[in-house]
Amino acid sequence: MKSQYFAGVDIGSTMTKVVIVNDAVLASVIGPTGPEHRKLANRVMEEALAKAKLAFEDITYVVATGYGRINVPFADKQITEISCHARGVAHLLPEVRTVIDIGGQDSKGIKLKDGRAVDFVMNDKCAAGTGRFLEVTAEELGVSLEDMGRLSLEAKHRVEISSTCTVFAGQEVVAKLSEGVALPDIIAGLHEAIATRIYGMLRRLKIEREVAMTGGGAKNIGLVKAMEAKLGFPVLVPPEPLLTGAIGAALLGRDIVREAAKKGETLTRSQRRLTEATLFT
Amino acid sequence: MTEEKKPEERKKRKTATEAASRVGPMVKAALAENLRAKEEGRPIAYSFIFSGYDEIIRAMDIVPAWTENYAGVCGVKRDAQRFLEKAEGENFSRSLCTYALCGLGFDSWREETGEMPPNPPWGGQARPTVMLGSGQIICDPRYKWYQAAQHYMPDVPVYVAGLPYPPYENDYDYREVQDYYVKYIVEEMRGLVAFLEKYTNQKMDWDRLAEVVDISDRTWNMISEAYDLRKAVPCPMGTGDAMNTMVPMTFMMGTQEALDFFKELYDELKIKIANKEGIIPDEKYRLLWGGGLPSWFALGDFNYFNSKGAVFPAEVTYRLVDPVYKLDLPKVSDPLEHLAWRWVKYWTYRNDRAKKRPGSSPEIERLIEYIEKYKIDGVVMHEAFSCRSWHPGLIWQLNQLKRVYRDIPSLILESDIVDISSYNEADTRARIDAFIDTLEAVKSR
Repeated sequence: MKSQYFAGVDIGSTMTKVVIVNDAVLASVIGPTGPEHRKLANRVMEEALAKAKLAFEDITYVVATGYGRINVPFADKQITEISCHARGVAHLLPEVRTVIDIGGQDSKGIKLKDGRAVDFVMNDKCAAGTGRFLEVTAEELGVSLEDMGRLSLEAKHRVEISSTCTVFAGQEVVAKLSEGVALPDIIAGLHEAIATRIYGMLRRLKIEREVAMTGGGAKNIGLVKAMEAKLGFPVLVPPEPLLTGAIGAALLGRDIVREAAKKGETLTRSQRRLTEATLFT
Repeated sequence: MTEEKKPEERKKRKTATEAASRVGPMVKAALAENLRAKEEGRPIAYSFIFSGYDEIIRAMDIVPAWTENYAGVCGVKRDAQRFLEKAEGENFSRSLCTYALCGLGFDSWREETGEMPPNPPWGGQARPTVMLGSGQIICDPRYKWYQAAQHYMPDVPVYVAGLPYPPYENDYDYREVQDYYVKYIVEEMRGLVAFLEKYTNQKMDWDRLAEVVDISDRTWNMISEAYDLRKAVPCPMGTGDAMNTMVPMTFMMGTQEALDFFKELYDELKIKIANKEGIIPDEKYRLLWGGGLPSWFALGDFNYFNSKGAVFPAEVTYRLVDPVYKLDLPKVSDPLEHLAWRWVKYWTYRNDRAKKRPGSSPEIERLIEYIEKYKIDGVVMHEAFSCRSWHPGLIWQLNQLKRVYRDIPSLILESDIVDISSYNEADTRARIDAFIDTLEAVKSR
């Protein structure tokens, strides 16, 4: 029997992620979504196909997720990021019951039961509590986003950032710098502020262990530590936390195809084209 | 002066019932009646819904102008921003109630120019003869809005009727104090009648008031009977439609027209149930709109829920009546006293049930009652940022519901009642999609 391949495409606000699986993950690519690349998710897909040494026609089923999942012309189905994150995390870390996903433009808490999302909370109204908060403040500090986590671990006297607004927190950071406060102390304060905000949101869910962190925020060791301090116990982070949504999407595609085969059903699919995605039209 | 902005043209929202589709023209007709009353010199009262005085103003032939409704109309027509901006220009904070801001912006504009703002939604809102506030349910605009409106209309008198009810507490029986509340409310209503007689030159006809109160009691019962029919599977009418049918409930209470409307709705629902005609053909999830005023500019979201197989057989919002025969009202001859008892009992008759469930409250008992009666799978609430009196308590209610009853799937939407700048359709629908996924996951467990 010919091998079947499944692709998951997670078009987030900042990054586009593509994962190709059969029985294991064969290839993954992370590329920027940003304004100039907004329509170019197909290029990330092409790169993933090249890595897996496959042609687009070899892919049995493509599931799109993330904020840009609507109108992806090369997807067979769109599934919400909540379901895809749940599936991805359940696959990678089956012991997890609560997921904290910190993305570029939103943050989410997801409760898992039997590998599926049964409750969730979302912050998509305010940049505070999202990756954007750190992006903006990193720029104010003249520090690269990647260095924020490492630097914060050097903090001796973490400062308190009192403003919960991203714009005003940026001003507060500049003021702290002019007062001569050490950079690591400011960054640790920023992580504390974002962790406090997310923890407040999470309390709407009954947080159950184990807890996993995903999304770009989970790549920041300082933020992970701040979250652990709030929770009072360690969190789990998958090997590549940016990919859980795309892995979940690919696995859900595989579930759909296998379930249909088990029932002897034929999947009806619209014709797909590996062309630019049109977001929110 | 804020520049006139053209409202966005919107397609008419699809309703499930014929009754709901008739409501738009009814609102239009009511607003036209206000303008006609103004021309003819009949008295007009700025009024708040659910303030217990509907029957009084109806019996005195005073034309009510429901200012919250007009702000809602501006929201539905997506034409509220220019009035909100006008109010903001007058130094009112954007974080105040946006119904009030919209109304204040409109009034200040009309009073400043001496004419209606250009192209006002559905003809605009006429200058009132009196303004009737109401001190109840901790909604501060109910007593501050019209006082603020007097900045622009200093010659228009305001009366604020106090309508308290015994608060729910575990350690006392509200029956110990209910007589005092009734007595107080009756005095407030007598004061209102005297105020209206003085400033509108209308005389109260007490026999007519008794008739109007009788009609409104029967309307309370009729609404409850009609809405109870929504228990049927498939559900014949959802919350989207109820956001229309709230108009005869709240803006026409005490009129024969309202009673007839709900009788017709009852008959229509009976036929739909007999024909097994639901809002959607393939009903998968039954949801409770557990609280929060709707985003009037985004009522199409109810249709979006429908497109995902979800229906709303019940809602807390604008279900402002209960069967009068359930309230155990004492028999009294004074119609004002009857209104006062109905008010107090409406707010307290679930207290005994709440006391039996530690951690519960009458509001939570109501949620549980609806969840069971309407076979509900999940609860949706809306946090409207500008409604500070009701909405902050919603999350507590939801958490307590899960604690004292069961862990039911829930969704909290975030936006506003009138201020469209707080709304993001893509985000809202992403949340709805995710909620549908969780409902499916819970159902398939």
